[in-house]
Amino acid sequence: MRCYILLVLFVFFVPVSAQEYEFEIPEEEESRIEFNGNLDVKWAILNTRESSPFYEIQFYQTTDNSSYLSRYRLDHYFNAEYRRKKVDFVMKTFSQYKKDEPISLSFHELYGSLNLSPKLTFGIGKKRFIWGKGYAFNPAGYVNTEKDPENPELALSGKSSTFFMFNKSINSNFLKNFSFSSIILPPEAIINEKFAPLEDTEIALKTYFLIKNTDIDFMFFYGKNQLRRYGFDFSTNLKENFEIHGEWSYAQNEGKFIIQKNLPWLQKIDGSSFIFGIRYLNRFNMTVIAEYYHNNRGLSKEEFNDYYDYIETTIKSNSFNIISQVKQDVSRRFISKTLMKDYLYIIVRQPEPFGWLYSSFSIFTIYNLSDNSFILSPRFGYEPFTNFEFLLWPALTLGESNSEYGSRQFQKKVEFWMRFYF
Amino acid sequence: MKNYKILLFIILLFSVFSIVQLFSASDKKADEILKKADENLMPSSFETYRKLINEEPDGSKKEYIFYSIKKDRDKVAMLYISPASEKGRSALRLGDNMWLYIPNVGRPIRITSLQSSVGGIFSNSDIMRLDYSEEYNASILEQNDEEYVLDLKAKTSYVAYDKLKMWIKKKSIIVTKVECYAASGTLIKTLEFKEVKDFGNGIVRPAVIETTSPLYKGYRSIMIFSGIELREFPDEVFTLDFMPRLCELR
Repeated sequence: MRCYILLVLFVFFVPVSAQEYEFEIPEEEESRIEFNGNLDVKWAILNTRESSPFYEIQFYQTTDNSSYLSRYRLDHYFNAEYRRKKVDFVMKTFSQYKKDEPISLSFHELYGSLNLSPKLTFGIGKKRFIWGKGYAFNPAGYVNTEKDPENPELALSGKSSTFFMFNKSINSNFLKNFSFSSIILPPEAIINEKFAPLEDTEIALKTYFLIKNTDIDFMFFYGKNQLRRYGFDFSTNLKENFEIHGEWSYAQNEGKFIIQKNLPWLQKIDGSSFIFGIRYLNRFNMTVIAEYYHNNRGLSKEEFNDYYDYIETTIKSNSFNIISQVKQDVSRRFISKTLMKDYLYIIVRQPEPFGWLYSSFSIFTIYNLSDNSFILSPRFGYEPFTNFEFLLWPALTLGESNSEYGSRQFQKKVEFWMRFYF
Repeated sequence: MKNYKILLFIILLFSVFSIVQLFSASDKKADEILKKADENLMPSSFETYRKLINEEPDGSKKEYIFYSIKKDRDKVAMLYISPASEKGRSALRLGDNMWLYIPNVGRPIRITSLQSSVGGIFSNSDIMRLDYSEEYNASILEQNDEEYVLDLKAKTSYVAYDKLKMWIKKKSIIVTKVECYAASGTLIKTLEFKEVKDFGNGIVRPAVIETTSPLYKGYRSIMIFSGIELREFPDEVFTLDFMPRLCELR
């Protein structure tokens, strides 16, 4: 009887235990094509700031004005990669659905690369490069598409280029790795939307060193209109839970738009931009990232006041033609996400706060040190199922009426996202 | 009387010297045991697939599959294969340095050994573990006929846990249990090495590592190894530039 009971126990329990420790390895083929992506459903409620001239210019002669607006859209990211031996082809698309009308498809990346060895890569096409060590800002990111510090992890579009990369590991206790990247950026087609002046071709070079436990990059950029930039960055862990990083960039002949005599004016300036940041993890698994950013191209408080007055004067003209023209100018010349000189960025992240499973909480602020305005935004995430998540994302912009964040078109907003991965 | 004092001093000096010698011999033996245990856990250069299961107090599970490679004592890289939301991420460890590459972020960012990139109880240093002898100095705490118990102290402040207590089978020199302690002496987690399996090529090691922590009551994380294969890699695959290309090795 005892043997029988033991046999029954063995039959029932041993296979279950063995099964628990087995899994199938996804097979890999010599050549293959792979797809993935995500669909983001985003619904936002926005509280407008009707007293702001930036609101007035954006919504000039709009009849259905309301203090609260709603925005609903679907962002679709679809990526495909084909790989065979040393050849790699990458396509990353982005499309946005707002209403039933033809949807325009854009390529975030579209390039082919020849991976001759782990040391050598050559490629051509539209590719996204990210230079610099900053989380929210990258003054030395000469080939980057400008990040939105309000959402630094958002997938962004790349740039058309021809690139070459060389990478070498070294068996030494001092210099452990060295790499070199060279990127040639053809100019944008401005002549009949087909051609571009050859002399507008831009070149970017970067060398990377892993020296002891520190990452160091040196960068150089030569752009059109004799723009030259020289930069470096670094990142290192001072302790197992404490990292510091920084970027510095010096530019010559950099373009900066200001308002002079009530008109946009392009200035050529020389000078340095830099960031210094830390990343700290405490024993409660809370991560803090803090960065200070000095933006040489940014507007001073006085220059921002001129810009504000310019928009206000434009609105007062009440002329449709002038307002339309200025609206177009502003959207091209004052488009930067960091319009002014000095910023402080802080984000605090806590996974599974209060033991709430599959949830995450973070809060960030971008504080404009030039005019004491800021944005404050908490974010709640919840992933009840694999490959599916919810995000609740309110944001407040605060400051004096003529400050950067205090004059934003929207004083409050709440975004609700649902994200599906496939 | 004077000669007597000199003799006493020489005897005392000799005794101190002998005790020091005895301890350093014991430490040397402990370091050798630790190195052998490392060799039995991980060959010098190999590739493997691992599944990581995070079990939550409500019984629900989150699962990840990684492709991992290791070379020498201090180079580890891994690629996230599933789920779809994590696919394409990769992580790299070179000695005390760790980076995580997220396709959307587009560049490797430094991470810390104490952080957990996958949630659950396993920290980055557990998932991308180097040889224990690379990070710790060992001494024998106690032993019996069956096993050694080693006391491991971190060589540098970059190491995730200041102190480990490790149980090793005497006959096979296979690790069976590790307790991880903070500098304060607080027990952070316990790793249990289970299901000893013959992976071929002379690799016989536990296929399952299970971890629990008094700091996360009700949680359990399990790491399962499958198909450990010996393979040589050029050093350049353990670099930041190669992180987006790790999938080429599969």
